[in-house]
Amino acid sequence: MPADLNNDSTPSRPTLGSLLLKSQRRTFLGVDKQKAIRFFFASNSSAAVIVLVLIMLFLLREGVDFLPTYRHELETYQHAGLEFCDLVEQPLAEHQQLCSKLRRVLSASLNTITYQARSRRDAAYQQMRDVEEETRLQRAVLTNALAEVPPAALEKLAQLRQELLTATQLAVSRLAVPPSLTPSEGWQLKRDLALLSPESAEPPLVLELLSAAYIRVDTEAHASFKPLVEAVEAFEAAPDELHTLLNTLKKHARETKALVTDFHSSGKGHGRKDPIDFASRITPLTSRIPELSGRIEAYAQRAQTAAASLPPQAGTPQATKMLSEMRAMLPGHLTEMRAAAGKLPQWSYEKRVSYFKVVLAFFFGDAWITNSSWQDFFGFIPLLVGSVLIAVLAVLIATPLSIIAAIYTNQFASVREQDFIKPVIEFIQAIPSVVLGFIGISVLGDVIKDVSHVSWLQWLPGFPIQERLNMFNAACLLALMAVPTMFSLAEDALNNVPRAYIDASDALGATKLQTVFRVIVPSARSGISAAVLLGLGRVIGETMVVLLVAGNRIAIPDFRSGLGVVFQPAHTLTGIIAQELGEVSRGSAHWQALFMVGIVLFVISLLVNWCARAFVRRFELSKS
Amino acid sequence: MKFTLLALLVAMTVTATLQAQTTLRIRGSDTLGAKLVPQLAEAFKKQAGNVSFDIAAEGSSTAFTNLLSGTAEIGMSSRKVKLDEETEMRSRGKDLREFEIAWDVIVIVVNRGNPVSDLKKKQVVQIFTGDIRDWSEVGGNPGLISIYTRNTSSGTYKDFMGLAMKDREYGSNSQKMAGNEQIASEVGANPNGIGYLGFAYAHAKGTKIVSIEGALPSTAEVKKYPYARPTFLYTSGLPTGTTKQFIDFCFTASGEAIVTKVGFVPKSRAK
Repeated sequence: MPADLNNDSTPSRPTLGSLLLKSQRRTFLGVDKQKAIRFFFASNSSAAVIVLVLIMLFLLREGVDFLPTYRHELETYQHAGLEFCDLVEQPLAEHQQLCSKLRRVLSASLNTITYQARSRRDAAYQQMRDVEEETRLQRAVLTNALAEVPPAALEKLAQLRQELLTATQLAVSRLAVPPSLTPSEGWQLKRDLALLSPESAEPPLVLELLSAAYIRVDTEAHASFKPLVEAVEAFEAAPDELHTLLNTLKKHARETKALVTDFHSSGKGHGRKDPIDFASRITPLTSRIPELSGRIEAYAQRAQTAAASLPPQAGTPQATKMLSEMRAMLPGHLTEMRAAAGKLPQWSYEKRVSYFKVVLAFFFGDAWITNSSWQDFFGFIPLLVGSVLIAVLAVLIATPLSIIAAIYTNQFASVREQDFIKPVIEFIQAIPSVVLGFIGISVLGDVIKDVSHVSWLQWLPGFPIQERLNMFNAACLLALMAVPTMFSLAEDALNNVPRAYIDASDALGATKLQTVFRVIVPSARSGISAAVLLGLGRVIGETMVVLLVAGNRIAIPDFRSGLGVVFQPAHTLTGIIAQELGEVSRGSAHWQALFMVGIVLFVISLLVNWCARAFVRRFELSKS
Repeated sequence: MKFTLLALLVAMTVTATLQAQTTLRIRGSDTLGAKLVPQLAEAFKKQAGNVSFDIAAEGSSTAFTNLLSGTAEIGMSSRKVKLDEETEMRSRGKDLREFEIAWDVIVIVVNRGNPVSDLKKKQVVQIFTGDIRDWSEVGGNPGLISIYTRNTSSGTYKDFMGLAMKDREYGSNSQKMAGNEQIASEVGANPNGIGYLGFAYAHAKGTKIVSIEGALPSTAEVKKYPYARPTFLYTSGLPTGTTKQFIDFCFTASGEAIVTKVGFVPKSRAK
């Protein structure tokens, strides 16, 4: 062979590769070249492991301190007597819910009489706002010119006024007079609106007449529902005295808390102050327990009397129903208030807050309240529920899509189709998540909202929806992000089904469909499950989309609305970190709480990935 | 040789003037320290050169503690000085000077189709704390209220609590939005939405400004509007040198242009 001849004739010049790989005896610190190269490659792969360990250590270091810090905060909450005030304050919050129901009942009842006058007035005002909106530009120019110092030239002002007038007249000519107004009123309205100018503060005469008419009718309505009006007012005013006392106590508790914060911040720097004598600070609170219990009882009595004086019927059937709901809720609320009064004497500021309680307060707390002027709470449940709901929903949407697509591409598609589908689906991964978030805000949100207002779709739960930014919107976008991962993995799983299975199935005379659904898909089952799980892992850690689109309401969604719950806004574990970490002062309880959230998120992701791995292992066993 | 000496001399004077560069330390309110004062400082630096700023915004009270200990030339505060703070300053022989630089206005907006156009202060408290849940309770069309607020780390979030909510918590039905723009667009798109905005963002598409007990926010009548408050700069003793120049700069036309741009109302226009 010519190559051999060449090798024989010329002195061999070693190539770079052979130089690197050839074993040479030269060593440095006992390591020869071979070993050095091996170490180099090993160190590169171990870098990933080291980084992972470092991330874990860093998260733990920042997060672990959270427990003592939060414990200290909760202890202060107790020692300063904030908890004492909350014993009464929290059950009292329900009073406002009852009031809210009563106010709605009242409004619905009054509305039976005032409806026409009100809608006439509102329609006319809406017309005025429409005109103002249309001529916004010209109005702003004129207003600015009028405010200028030194004042603008008179001719210029006159010109601007003329421009505004023309624009206003144009806008008015396009108005359609609402049918609730009489033709003559409509004519007057148009005439007055044509002269609308930012210089005249008074609204047009027709509008004032319509307002006056409404007020007249409203007074009549109040008179005819007098018992209801009075009962509602009495019920609303029932806790006034209790509130006054509670506010005094709260002020004192807050001052004590400020002293504690002061003490701890000054302790680090200059001269230490004396530690706070909680016992003497707490007596002003505890000494007023009899008075507080008295006022709670007085409130209960008054609320009961007011409720008893409520008329049995309200203006509309729905209002009457709400009224009876309110009546049914009241005894429970009053029992709770009295129970709170009973708890007061047993309350002690000294009880220790155990770490167990702190852990419970974090992992099972149902309120995440930060930057509060009363007390911060770091309860993790609302965020977890939001994250899990969105992720599960996204996977539910993405799973059928990606798996059916994978089955089609793998088994039925022609080579040309495969060459088209695969890159396109994988391309979805290239869309930056912030861009998807924008699409969610500006397009998808409106689309979902518009669809939910279509009249023949009203049987769907949760329709019509009110919020553009909700969990469903976020889940749709996240599903889109999960599809490429799930599709590729599922396709691989289908590919890995041993050829022999398929041949055997064919040999037995099965049709293509039978082979696919009886043989291929079942034997790829665990691989497909792993694909779904990895899709879940991808979705639960996603931040930008949920931050922009999920609506950021920190509350446990209201599951009473059934499946419609998915159209409510929610906040997520990832979103809260992104939103709040930026401005939080380093080392504070809030900062550490966010790191705890990060740790939990990390653990969840690890678990999901670990599960996926376990599935894959099972899948590999079945292959052999 | 002479030339080298001359060059050396010039170099020395240059370094000397560079070293003479003054640093203004400004401490206090995060409302002012977030945007307004840093932007004023930037503009002032361009004009006056030779000055650098050290701004830290950790709340209005730090303005006075820093002035007291002499660790700041200027204190910024979103409230007037408290009596005890002033007496403590005076007892240490320091004379506090106050400069009202701008008015901070928070505007309440609802959807343009919402018939409600006036709210009482008490109703605002009740809406944002979640006590009032339905528009029919304040004279609107029945429908659950959607509340849009800034996120918890924003200065306005806390300011609004103090100005309008009597320091009570936001209701759990409130949604935390990333910024003024997002609040405006959600309120504009949701017929049952309500939110608050900085004055500069108030005229957004699809939204309507709600008057509070009859008072509409406007530059012409800032002081009558309940959710407006003056913001101040404080110095200890009459300001001199660069400090004086900077404070004077805040009241010039270019200073006021920045004040307006950031969403405050300049003092000269607040009536």
